[in-house]
Amino acid sequence: MVAVDISGRHTVNRRYLMVCAAVVVKISPESIEKIYDMKLVPQVSESIDLDVVVTLIEKAVRGLSGVVIAEKGDLYNQERWKIECILSRQFKYPESLGERRAIEFAHHASFAGRNLMLDLLKR
Amino acid sequence: MITMTTKTAVLLMRDDPKEPPRPQKMEELRGMAESAGYAILAEISQQKSRDRRFQLGKGKIAQAVAYNPDKLIFYNPLSPGQVYNISKEFGQTIIDRFNLILEIFAYRASSKEAKLQVELARLSYEAPFVRVMESLRKLSEKPGYRGSGSYDVSMYRDIKGRMAKIRSELKNVEITGQVRRQRRRDLGFDLVALAGYTNAGKSTLFNVLTEETVMAKDQPFTTLSPTTRAVNSKERSFLLTDTVGFIDDLPLFLIKAFRSTLAEIVQADLVLLVVDLSDPPQILRDKLIACHDALWDCGNYAPIISVLNKVDTLTEEEVAYRKSQIQDLSPNPVVISAKDKRGLSDLLNLISNKLPPLKEFEISLPNNEDGMSQLSRLYQAAEVMNVQYGEAIVVQLKGREEMATRLLKRSNSKDISLISGMVSGEEGP
Repeated sequence: MVAVDISGRHTVNRRYLMVCAAVVVKISPESIEKIYDMKLVPQVSESIDLDVVVTLIEKAVRGLSGVVIAEKGDLYNQERWKIECILSRQFKYPESLGERRAIEFAHHASFAGRNLMLDLLKR
Repeated sequence: MITMTTKTAVLLMRDDPKEPPRPQKMEELRGMAESAGYAILAEISQQKSRDRRFQLGKGKIAQAVAYNPDKLIFYNPLSPGQVYNISKEFGQTIIDRFNLILEIFAYRASSKEAKLQVELARLSYEAPFVRVMESLRKLSEKPGYRGSGSYDVSMYRDIKGRMAKIRSELKNVEITGQVRRQRRRDLGFDLVALAGYTNAGKSTLFNVLTEETVMAKDQPFTTLSPTTRAVNSKERSFLLTDTVGFIDDLPLFLIKAFRSTLAEIVQADLVLLVVDLSDPPQILRDKLIACHDALWDCGNYAPIISVLNKVDTLTEEEVAYRKSQIQDLSPNPVVISAKDKRGLSDLLNLISNKLPPLKEFEISLPNNEDGMSQLSRLYQAAEVMNVQYGEAIVVQLKGREEMATRLLKRSNSKDISLISGMVSGEEGP
């Protein structure tokens, strides 16, 4: 399973400084069992819409195997089949506590990654 | 027991045309309406995208009004504007599913805590409605303007004030609950909470395990206030708490209002997630997802055992098939029938394995009256393995760390001391 989260979906100096984290995890119904891999992809964008978000997720999950999971709000509450078609790979929204914890983990990773990126930009 | 006069209602539900129809939702609404004492005159559903003014098509509402019911009950949540428009257009009392849940809660709430929670939930739900209703009415007139009456905005402020007061009262209840739970832990008890979708059989299981007789009925929301009793099994003794059931799309204000009750789940050492296995597989999945949602919203981090209940109504093949359909949503599943008392020993074994491991201690007590009374307390709070009487009483026991800490902290006597304390070799959660 590849849990995905994007940080930075708000403007900073009229730009979106986003970081997408993709975390490959093995989960049980209630918790994360093992973390296999992690990838952070930064992206700067002038605007944001479903296309931008899906393209960023696509980049982040490239080369990582497993069903992609992400929060419904991250994908503009679009239906699962629609996202699956655009991504061209298996996708689902979180259902179990384990899946939610995996996304929470990805959120911490993307948030920390974005803070690091902002720190570097300030210097 | 509260008797309810027979009221009549027509149930209405709008299905999204992009999604498959959900007849089970109407069934759930019927169960809740009947549970609230309504006689159902008709069930009307429509596959239609959301109508901004009336939620459903105007014709369908007119069809429902023709039955002349006391109330129209909508499955879909109604916005304040929709409530205003429908009641103005049709002159009919209308409620939605959340209001219906609140009605049931209001009927069943017996403790002070439950009554406060229900009032808070009702006010949280009604506050935005009052605000919109008043602003809509004020478009043409301004009651109270230069008159003796108060401005309409004061009603909204009154509600907000009352909500703040209830919240602070509930905060006290929550603190009392926290103190009580900590005290129970200090006394050496493990805390286990029952959670699950409404009408899953939590109270029946509670009665079977504790040999109690709390009200257990085949209807949603029988339990509102938590009840805690001791379970004395040969594997391990613990305190079991029966809690309020979850429901799909439980609004956040309702979860917040019942925070002090749900704290029983969050602060437990172990959660038993009771599942009604007799439901068809898709409904079973939907209900489990709703439970995981609610547990996530509560902030539960305790280990979970999935108690697959009501297997007496299924064949072995059906049980195996349903188990396979929900394996990604049911941690540590155990199959039982609370009604037939089947599978209870497996459940008690699993509970014993999943509870935090007990630690072994060797404690020295003075060999006098005070020491004897402490020893007597230890027999109640822990598993005493060996006692040696000499100049001092040396007790070897197995129990929770909090229990030993409390004994050493509370005792003023310097004669009481911990000789050794080590983790036992039991498997943890």
